[in-house]
Amino acid sequence: MALDKLVLEVLRSGGKKARYELKFRKGMTVLDALVEVRERQDPSLAYRHSCRMGICGSCGMNIQGIPRLACQTQVSSLGKDVVKVEPLHGMSVIKDLVVDIDPFLSMHTFVKPYLIREDLAERDGSDREYRVLSDEVARFLQFDYCIMCALCYSACPTVALDPDYLGPQAMAQAYRYMADPRDEGWDARINLLDRAHGVWRCHVAGSCSFVCPKDVDPAKAIQMARVEVLKKRVLRRTAKAGSPLVNPAPAGAAKQGTRAPPFDFKEGGRG
Amino acid sequence: MVEVIDHDVVIVGSGLAGLRTAAEVMSAPRGKAPTLGLVSKLALMRSHSVAAEGGTAAVLYPELGDSLELHAWDTIKGSDFLADQDSVWKFVTLCPDEMRQLERWGMPWSRKEDGRIAQRPFGGHSYDRATFAQDKVGFFEMRTLYDKLQEFDGWSRYEEAFVTSLVIQDGTFRGCTAIDMKSGRFVFFRSRACVIATGGAGQLWKFTATSVSTTGDGIWLAYQAGLPIEDMEFMQFHPTGLIPTGILITEGARGEGGHLLNSKGERFMERYAPSKMELSPRDVVSRSIMKEIAEGRGLKDEDSGLSYVHLDLRHLGREKIDSKLPFIKELSMKFVGLDPVDEPIPIKPTAHYTMGGIPVDDNGRVIGGGSREVKGLWAAGETACVSIHGANRLGSNSTAECLVYGRVVGKDIVRFLASEADAAEGASSMVAEEETRVFDGLLKNESSDDDVYAIKARLKEVMDKSVYVFREEAGLAEAVREVKALKEKFKGVRATDGGRQFNYNLQDVLEVGGMLELAEVVARGALNRTESRGGHSRLDYPQRDDANWLKHTLASRTDGGPRFSSVPVRITMWKPVERKY
Amino acid sequence: MAKTSRFKSGLISSLIPFGFNVERWGYVIHRVTGVILIGYLAAHLFETFQLSMGPGAWANTMSALHSLGPLEMVGLWLVAGSALYHGANGIRLVLNEVFGILMGKPIMPVYPYSPTSLGRNQKLAVWTITAVVLVLWLWAGLYLLAGLGVI
Repeated sequence: MALDKLVLEVLRSGGKKARYELKFRKGMTVLDALVEVRERQDPSLAYRHSCRMGICGSCGMNIQGIPRLACQTQVSSLGKDVVKVEPLHGMSVIKDLVVDIDPFLSMHTFVKPYLIREDLAERDGSDREYRVLSDEVARFLQFDYCIMCALCYSACPTVALDPDYLGPQAMAQAYRYMADPRDEGWDARINLLDRAHGVWRCHVAGSCSFVCPKDVDPAKAIQMARVEVLKKRVLRRTAKAGSPLVNPAPAGAAKQGTRAPPFDFKEGGRG
Repeated sequence: MVEVIDHDVVIVGSGLAGLRTAAEVMSAPRGKAPTLGLVSKLALMRSHSVAAEGGTAAVLYPELGDSLELHAWDTIKGSDFLADQDSVWKFVTLCPDEMRQLERWGMPWSRKEDGRIAQRPFGGHSYDRATFAQDKVGFFEMRTLYDKLQEFDGWSRYEEAFVTSLVIQDGTFRGCTAIDMKSGRFVFFRSRACVIATGGAGQLWKFTATSVSTTGDGIWLAYQAGLPIEDMEFMQFHPTGLIPTGILITEGARGEGGHLLNSKGERFMERYAPSKMELSPRDVVSRSIMKEIAEGRGLKDEDSGLSYVHLDLRHLGREKIDSKLPFIKELSMKFVGLDPVDEPIPIKPTAHYTMGGIPVDDNGRVIGGGSREVKGLWAAGETACVSIHGANRLGSNSTAECLVYGRVVGKDIVRFLASEADAAEGASSMVAEEETRVFDGLLKNESSDDDVYAIKARLKEVMDKSVYVFREEAGLAEAVREVKALKEKFKGVRATDGGRQFNYNLQDVLEVGGMLELAEVVARGALNRTESRGGHSRLDYPQRDDANWLKHTLASRTDGGPRFSSVPVRITMWKPVERKY
Repeated sequence: MAKTSRFKSGLISSLIPFGFNVERWGYVIHRVTGVILIGYLAAHLFETFQLSMGPGAWANTMSALHSLGPLEMVGLWLVAGSALYHGANGIRLVLNEVFGILMGKPIMPVYPYSPTSLGRNQKLAVWTITAVVLVLWLWAGLYLLAGLGVI
């Protein structure tokens, strides 16, 4: 659609709506528009941004009512010449479009999102690696794509109603580690999920997966986590050992001396 | 009114190097673990390290033909012999452990058939040693380190705290002053040890792969504190930056077999580097691309006016692109609207990596003027200049550098704190002066004489035009004049947003002030160095001049501009030879 | 600076999610029908309890109900629809939550992104349920209209 003028309507601190008029440029994203507003019209407009390529997760905001990353939302794709921008819902507003993501981050820390092993000395001090096959990686890799942008947390209806709810990101990360073949922390995390404010409050509204900019699909991770919780309750399942350490030298490799360069370096080599 | 926050260790910058140092410091044995404050001007997972794509170099399989000597030789030759060779050797010996340690902390490296960590070819390396995690290695490394830090208690995160100055008194580090963006309060982080890991200065240029936050903060902080900075004229221009934004397309695309084509559809690298072709070091490829464009064999983008060449991935096939280069496909489709399976990607060299930075020794300790150490100050990552990259960095060596030096610095700090008994004293008069400079000086409610954003835009244009891949005397002299003029204009700049909370305008003003100082060092350094070496190419001095210029440039701040000196390169293993690929 | 409540902004959109996915609307209707059914359960228990209070109480209750006229049948029709939807959607939710099916398996995301949990199988289930519920609900409506003597 042909646009030459764009109106950005931003909900600022104190509930005021500010209107900014801009000239539309081809390929303009909502973030481009916000940057132009701050640099040319109103330097007091506060919003977060950094990478402008959809990998850092700073620029989450509500655009036309849906949580999106501003840096990868093309103005032309919104189909209107008035773009309504609000801060992310479900979190306290600090100033303009900057919200407080601390509750979101603390939920993440709560689920122990790190690799847990019985033998910590081996985990932190060995010189070898755990053996993991590609299809074992495929079981959790999708959930590791999370850039912690908090769009899913903002879109979730349960988060809007329950302040102690873990939220889709935390539960997806808990499952990411439980599904990691190297992890031995299944028992440690299952009880954190098996609570009223854990998996049981998810009613599969699916909005988390709908808004996720990296296709982490937290709705799927939560249901898979719930299946694990049911396995614990019904089948009395417990954790099993994680992947073993392997000798880095591949089997059958010819023993070449480690100091056998293919040509004589001292004279400067091949040049 | 200053709030004083005490910690044993303060880490400024939360990218790969900062997080790795934090993990190392917090892993110290019980009873020795210091109190740690991690300070960053962004939230912790937002640092630019997440954008690193291609891979991390390490000699993981010496049994299969790789060797530490080969890695060291590739790095030193790639640096155009400006790297300090003993440091390079120490660096390559520590890389393999880092890859394996990350793996044990949960890193989802891509795997070979038998379950071991996979590696791929990369520019300038004679062996396939770039360890990769699809094409988002920096992102996954950051996730792994951030998740690892969640395991520890007893450290504090100070996110969105913008450091405005380093307080150094009597050759000893005392602390750093910062603005807490959330509240607008002025804070003094007092500590006995500080690590600067704030990344490079890519935002000096307009066409850059770096985040908006990569404004060279740590480097200008050191410069303004009176410390010398090293080799700033060497800026790496990564060959494949997406038109028109400059967003990075990883070297791994060429590592997986991608070709560079000019407007005639030829693989023009044949003419410039017949043996390595597209996998030559980045400065060689960037120069080749710019030559093709200068000789009329480039294409032009009508909307932005930028010239470009093509990166062709069509012959790789959908399956390879989807499994090995999915992020590249996402970037091409999102920002240019084309699918790399069907069309070639428009690219041009983009400002990417700062080889220079704060000079440090092999333990990451900052070297002050006169080769004296500054007690209590370290630097790691892109901010530091050891120097292991010399005049040009090989791809996948930077993520390795961040991890290796993160660990080295972390260990050194724990050792330092165990042996140092005295607590930090505050330098309260210096802190009070800084508070006055920032809040009364810059944040007044009067109108500003000049627009800081116009100055920033002009600076970037000047750097793009004259201090880019190819430089020559007239252009550089012009750039120096322009930057000086912009510095004059900057004196009249004030923050026009008078609020205290989340005042990004004030942050922008402070950043631009630092960027102007750095730009002057870069332009003057480039003007002084009358040779071509690595990332610094002079059209008027196209040869490398080892007789006069086999040395590192040091720049120190004076009121009239930077004062230059030099320090010799440490050659311990191989004498410099001609660099051909 | 005053911080606005973190919940005020989320409440409206959580109840009326314009622009969101169809499963989200399904969630809203599931909650609303759930409330209707609980209300109906309470009312029904109260009504049948009157039987134990003697013939007079029962007659009073019945005449009170019939005095509503056609509204009684409309109310019953709404309850019938609620029961049909809540039950059928509930089966879909049990499949999702207890057995983890219709959600797809972990995949390697390929741009343009399309989460498997909102993918073909899920949508098929959602629209099949909607179609079946609508048909049965209409039939219930006709049945009730016949009871009214209209048709």
